[in-house]
Amino acid sequence: MKVAPATPRLIDRSDLLAALDRAAAGKVTILSAPAGSGKTSLLRAWADRARQPHGLAVVQVQRDQHDAQQFWLALLDAVRQASGTTSRAEPPTATPDFNGPAMVDRVLSELADARDGITLVIDDLHELHSPEALAQLTRLLTNLPANVHAILATRRDLRLELHRLRLAGELAELRGAELRFTERETRELLDASGIALSDAGVALLHERTEGWAAGLRLAAISLAGHLDPERFVAEFSGSDRTVAEYLLAEMLDRQPDEIQQLLLGTSLLDRVNGELADLLTGRPGSERILLELEDANAFVVSLDPERRWFRYHHLLGDFLRLELRRTQPEEVPALHRRAAGWFTRHGQVVDAIRHTQAAGDWSEAARLLADHSFSLTLDGQAQTIQALVRAFPQGAADDPELALVHAADDLLHGHLDEAAAHLAVAETYVKTVPPDRQRRLRVAVVSLKLGLARRRGHLADIVEQARFLASPVTGESDEDIALDSDLRAVALYNLGTLEAWSLALPDAERHLQEGAVLARQIGRPYLEVGCLAQLGFASRIRSFATTRQRCYEAIALAERHGWGAEPVIAPALVTLAANLVWTGELDEGERWLQRTAQALQTDAGPGITQLLHLATGRLHAGRGRQHEALEELRAAEHLQSQLAGSNALASQVTGWMLATQARLGQAGKARAALVALTDEQANAGEIRNARAVICLAEGDPAGALGALADVLDGTAPVIGYVTVVEAQLLAALAHRALGDQRAANQAAEHALALAEPDRLVLPFAMTGAGELLEALPRHETAHAALVADILDVVQGASLPAKDQASSSQADELSPSELRVLRYLPTNLSRPEIAGELSVSVNTVNTHIRNIYAKLQARDRSSAVQRARELRLLSTGRTR
Amino acid sequence: MRVHLPAFDHDGMDPTPARYRIRIHGHLGATVLSAFPALVSQRHGADTVLTGLLDRSALYGVLAEIDAFGLDLIEVRQLTADRKSPGSGDSRSP
Repeated sequence: MKVAPATPRLIDRSDLLAALDRAAAGKVTILSAPAGSGKTSLLRAWADRARQPHGLAVVQVQRDQHDAQQFWLALLDAVRQASGTTSRAEPPTATPDFNGPAMVDRVLSELADARDGITLVIDDLHELHSPEALAQLTRLLTNLPANVHAILATRRDLRLELHRLRLAGELAELRGAELRFTERETRELLDASGIALSDAGVALLHERTEGWAAGLRLAAISLAGHLDPERFVAEFSGSDRTVAEYLLAEMLDRQPDEIQQLLLGTSLLDRVNGELADLLTGRPGSERILLELEDANAFVVSLDPERRWFRYHHLLGDFLRLELRRTQPEEVPALHRRAAGWFTRHGQVVDAIRHTQAAGDWSEAARLLADHSFSLTLDGQAQTIQALVRAFPQGAADDPELALVHAADDLLHGHLDEAAAHLAVAETYVKTVPPDRQRRLRVAVVSLKLGLARRRGHLADIVEQARFLASPVTGESDEDIALDSDLRAVALYNLGTLEAWSLALPDAERHLQEGAVLARQIGRPYLEVGCLAQLGFASRIRSFATTRQRCYEAIALAERHGWGAEPVIAPALVTLAANLVWTGELDEGERWLQRTAQALQTDAGPGITQLLHLATGRLHAGRGRQHEALEELRAAEHLQSQLAGSNALASQVTGWMLATQARLGQAGKARAALVALTDEQANAGEIRNARAVICLAEGDPAGALGALADVLDGTAPVIGYVTVVEAQLLAALAHRALGDQRAANQAAEHALALAEPDRLVLPFAMTGAGELLEALPRHETAHAALVADILDVVQGASLPAKDQASSSQADELSPSELRVLRYLPTNLSRPEIAGELSVSVNTVNTHIRNIYAKLQARDRSSAVQRARELRLLSTGRTR
Repeated sequence: MRVHLPAFDHDGMDPTPARYRIRIHGHLGATVLSAFPALVSQRHGADTVLTGLLDRSALYGVLAEIDAFGLDLIEVRQLTADRKSPGSGDSRSP
């Protein structure tokens, strides 16, 4: 919102402007002075001066602002506009849960990016009734970049801990006494308004008002065009009335009836436009009056350059409100209702609810809140909602409509038991609601139930909920459709997430994809990111390449919105990390695990924390650090108790933990734990593998083979094919222990064949398959490159991360060329390769020539090296 | 008189009301008086004295209105001792 330039009849208070200039040498200036001291006018005059080289970012805090996020979004928007640089990031969008520190960081970085520096002006700071926002602001102010100056205007001293700035001489203050008009300035003000008054009169006026800016301005309004200014001043001076009331009453009385009615009737609005004023007064022509009032400098100020919206000086507005209530009390509720209707029609829900409450229509207000709470939360107004809820008086606060709102807030803050209780109330209530609203409220209830189930790690009755959501969105009005779309997108997100974590993966994919598409359509980027992040996690049944692709997409979108370190993207971060660990890119995987840990600092449900521990455990195991691995797996196992119902990771967690214990010489302990499992648990492939590891540790290879049988023949349930790869390797170890090298080699080859398409490395590293692979006759394997990679990792290296930028070159190698490429690391001659591929030697020669050219290699070994650097060998065969 | 008003602390409201007497310079007309429905007003010479029962939250509401209308606050006095501490302007530690 741009600042309208100061109207010309305000005087140039050059001393004060100079004081502000001097203060601008420091970091922060505070203007702390009572209401009506002229702070805003002064700031406007200062901002108008052409001498300002800096971009100017102005924020005027809204009246009674409880919502930290709304404050910061306005501030960030102002800063972005002022800096003028088109930032690479998306414009800031609200998030349901608000990360204050991250927001401050974002503002700081935008400030630092501004080429010419920024002056940040925050007016009406006393209206910020959010202690957390004030604390965040303190951090901002004590860390301002060079070239940034902040000016704060407030009616009273605030709890901003700026001692350090004060001690360093970086803090300047202008207080009420300094803002008082001198007698000379009083004279200037009157002169500028064309008011002729004697020196005695000026002195009298100055004395009576004590130099109070608002008083002087009001007096000037009444004096302008007054037939006998001396008499006015004399009477004013002789009155016992307080300055404000005397002059305001004066000013109002002198207005024609039409204007008085306009002012009174619109006084209950925070801001007014012509259309709204016409509605409230029942008369046309308000816009013209408002414009004229502003031109006459009569305490009416426009809020936008087009001069559509206006606001009354708070002094005038407060007085008018009282006067209206005193003289026309019966009008007040009706006026509020009319205003509420206008705001509802124009989609300004918060204002509509406020006015509905002010009219005393509490049940209507509750209904509005219930209908709109999801959309408002997605708009980042969660704290505003809470302020609105708090405004309900004792009796009305128990309205069952509000149970839904309470439940959503409880869920947001992690008060899960309270959320469940409120949801129960809401659910019962919804059955009694008329049909036109019932569907919407049911979707809301279901959505919250799913959200609760997700936070608790409990399985809800998914199938039933899914069926219910399958019916399309129908609504009578655009507003209905918008509301219902918001609800539906949230429901799909919650449903898809729960399904992903309960192994209903095809359904999860479907719902999350639908959710992402819908979220994009309705402009809800936060939900879109959420759905894509969970989709990454749900892609476990797909190829690793697909999973990786989806994770990268989700992360890129999140980063564009500045959410790269938020909990919402954590599922994609950790899935990507796990994916990289699986393919042996351990260093890169570790970096993503660290990012996940950071993102989960503020909000970590048990499920994702468990996944983080599991992936970290695998990382350690891949590096041969078995003790650290066991620690992580134990932590993961510990979280099992918080995750009731079948959950995605249980058998993996338990299985790997037991296997690691066995490898660390705790076979007895592991076997004892095995006994404690149920038959169903013990049947899982991952547990059977663990049993095999225990047998091998106990020196019983035959027992190991017995345990592995069902996994190898495909009858045991497995999480994924990685379990089968592992089983093959364990079988190979068992065969070797039994002296059957041929069977061992065969099993190892099976494992390699399964691992090839995705380039799986980790199972080999974890099962200590190094010796197995080295025993393989090198020239007989089609998987030489993979073996080389595995041995690298086993010997402690980490495979280099896939070079994303040059992966485009990989596309230039045709599938046939890639097939030949795979044989280059082997000892096979060209005729032998031709034989393997069933093509002519000439064909092979052609392919190799092209390969060398594209990889800019001179010979076989440099071609192989280049290919490995580019991770060409990991693009994988298409199945 | 310069008045420092501590930041609003909505969570720490002391619900026990006390009787306050607030003195303002100048006379208040009907309109501005209607901003203080919980208080009774009396003229004392050139001043107006407002008296009434206010809890902490209401007291700060009154002070905010006084600030909003640029009224000249002379004195705030608590007439009955509440158990915490006597006198005005005592700040609760957060």
